[in-house]
Amino acid sequence: MTDSLFGRGKQCRSMSRREFLERTIQGSALLWVGEGIARPRAARAASQSQKLAALSIPEWKTVEAIAARILPTDQDPGAREAGCINFIDKALANEDAMILPLYQMSLAALEGHCQAVFKNSFAELSEERQEKVLVQVENGTVSGWPQGPIRPEAFFATVRFHTLVGFVANPSYGGNQDFVGWKVLGFPGPRHHMGGGTPEQMVGKQKIKTVWGDEID
Amino acid sequence: MAKREEFDVCVIGTGAGGGVMIHELTAAGFNVVALERGKSYTTANFTDDELGNLIRRSSLAPHQLESYRAEPKAPSRAGRFNNLAHCVGGSSVHWSAASWRYRPDEFKVLSSEGPVAGANLADWPIDYDELEPYYGKAERAYGVSGQSGSNPFEPKRSSSYPNPPHPFRSASYVIERGANNLGYHPFPLPLAINSQPYGNRPPCMRSGQCANYGCIVNAKASSLSVHIPPALATDRLDLRPESFVNEIRLDETGRVRSVSYLTATGEQREVYAKRFVLSAGAVGSAHLLKLSTSGAFPEGLANSSGQLGRNLTYHITAIVGFWTDELSHGIVGQTGQVAIDDLHASDSKRGFIRGGMIMENGEANPIYYAMNGVSQGLSAGTQTWGKPLKDYLRKFRHAASMLAIGEDLPREENGIDVDPTIKDHLGIPVPRITHTNHPNDIALHHYYEGKMMEIAQASGAKDVWKIRLPGFSDLEKGRSQEGSYHLHGTCRMGDDPSKSVLNRWCRAHDVPNLWVVDGSCFPTAGGYNPTMTIVANAYRVVEQMIREAKRLDS
Repeated sequence: MTDSLFGRGKQCRSMSRREFLERTIQGSALLWVGEGIARPRAARAASQSQKLAALSIPEWKTVEAIAARILPTDQDPGAREAGCINFIDKALANEDAMILPLYQMSLAALEGHCQAVFKNSFAELSEERQEKVLVQVENGTVSGWPQGPIRPEAFFATVRFHTLVGFVANPSYGGNQDFVGWKVLGFPGPRHHMGGGTPEQMVGKQKIKTVWGDEID
Repeated sequence: MAKREEFDVCVIGTGAGGGVMIHELTAAGFNVVALERGKSYTTANFTDDELGNLIRRSSLAPHQLESYRAEPKAPSRAGRFNNLAHCVGGSSVHWSAASWRYRPDEFKVLSSEGPVAGANLADWPIDYDELEPYYGKAERAYGVSGQSGSNPFEPKRSSSYPNPPHPFRSASYVIERGANNLGYHPFPLPLAINSQPYGNRPPCMRSGQCANYGCIVNAKASSLSVHIPPALATDRLDLRPESFVNEIRLDETGRVRSVSYLTATGEQREVYAKRFVLSAGAVGSAHLLKLSTSGAFPEGLANSSGQLGRNLTYHITAIVGFWTDELSHGIVGQTGQVAIDDLHASDSKRGFIRGGMIMENGEANPIYYAMNGVSQGLSAGTQTWGKPLKDYLRKFRHAASMLAIGEDLPREENGIDVDPTIKDHLGIPVPRITHTNHPNDIALHHYYEGKMMEIAQASGAKDVWKIRLPGFSDLEKGRSQEGSYHLHGTCRMGDDPSKSVLNRWCRAHDVPNLWVVDGSCFPTAGGYNPTMTIVANAYRVVEQMIREAKRLDS
């Protein structure tokens, strides 16, 4: 416990932010869990195509830009190189079609905000500016967002979740292209069809073959 | 008029409990029809796809729909809350295979603790000694791999594990070191996964994907890999997948006459039998009994006690994550390799009663790990996206985690009934879950979270964080857990018909030819993964059922 007024205030703010984040994570998980019931599993077939399936061209560009801030490209590939946007577009056309309206309404609100404040689309803003906007979306403080059940916090948590899944799900779903997500993690791919593992591999005494043909410790 | 179909026994549900019943009954010469709501899969159908199996959970239960509310009278909302497999073999197909015997006091919670406000505690009508030989039978059937005597807190056993334990991975040694540094007694986690060829099943290939996956080589024991194949070989099993039972029907004497079920195409059929065994799990069994209302049972079949569908228990699952200095090698091996049971015994001085077990949680699933990056960021006080999230992902090979399974207290308000408005794809009203945790559960959760963090720190880990799964309300303010992997209590067994649904042989007090054999008979939840207790109890019950049936039918 800290006894300075400043310290206590700071602690309060960080607690409430934490609680808030946990709530929004749950919100998006609920959306996630609620979907997928009795829907065709067409995403795998569709995912090999880079053609738009659910999003419009401007929506695609905006979501791709958001995903690139959530998992940026640095010395390692990020969401852009993994094709997370393609994963998200195909999921929204298939298993996650129930949350397409969340994306569409939120993207319209985000575009309205960026035009009002910057007279430009989100995807055209500098990376620094994009991050500032996304902090406001994450915290729910972004201006011009319409009242109603679609909240910016839930939208952000959902895109973050989708981006993470697109980065490291099986490439057949349209993301994790060329296994770049798995390479960033050091995940060699599932072992089931690679002959499994050995007791020596479990303690690092034998190399592990990756699904793309390398070996790791 | 077509000849009506009549069997010796009709078993509804083919999971851990149903599998034992089907196998033992067909072996004893009975003609059995088994009705399973889900599809029949072979190992060729099981995939390594984490998104379908673990995240969307649509691979093994494509049509699962439930509803949830925290409190009675609150509105419910639709979703998938419990982690179930709807297929031949039930949830034993995708279980983690952690294989435990409950402790003697876990069968006698009311008499060892006394009544607790806000909880509906009860003693089991049986004790550990009565179940002990059946635990041995269950361990031999499932080929449990473990080191007998390695857990100094295990109750006495009359037989050893049939297979030696699995080797440790790097992370297991780290956890073992942390536990040893604190004076605990870590031991190899007993797993119903073959460590050598056993029971016509091959040894484990150490792919890391056990919980939430069907085993592609049948090294993991399940109803599907152990009990269904020999039952089919007797030619006395008529196995009917994609058959959703929606009503149990009584005759004029109060015995079950038949069950009606819907096929995949929505066709309504009826099947007759002398005896009926309900093994649809604590959600499915209570749901079906609640759907089967009649003049004598307006509140659900076999419910003269009013306890049907109540006392649902979920277990507490607390999880912590940490990074190891060396590579953790979570990507190969099994579910987890090491366990700690020193902190299990109930001690009210800790601020709560009852207890649980701690085990390694293998980090073999990249999406699951990526999702938990948000928990880690919150713990570290960093942004939960951007560079900190990317840095977190880069440490996957150093990831390790532990989980604790703890005993939650039964509350009468927690349970399963029939949702008044939400219907599934077949038009059947879905099971409605009502669940809020007892304050004791929350105190227990905090305690085990703290103890696991201490173990990680004692191993030398610098960064340790609490992993809070989706579907939990804020633990700091109390909790309402929406769903679980472990389901028990909705048809509790007991000697007093006014306080229990089933008698000590899992036969309904109210209906003489109806048995319920799954987790729903558990009066209290125990503090370990429940499957081996479901299997052992099924062996105990079926022995009596066969003895009695042979006497009556001869």
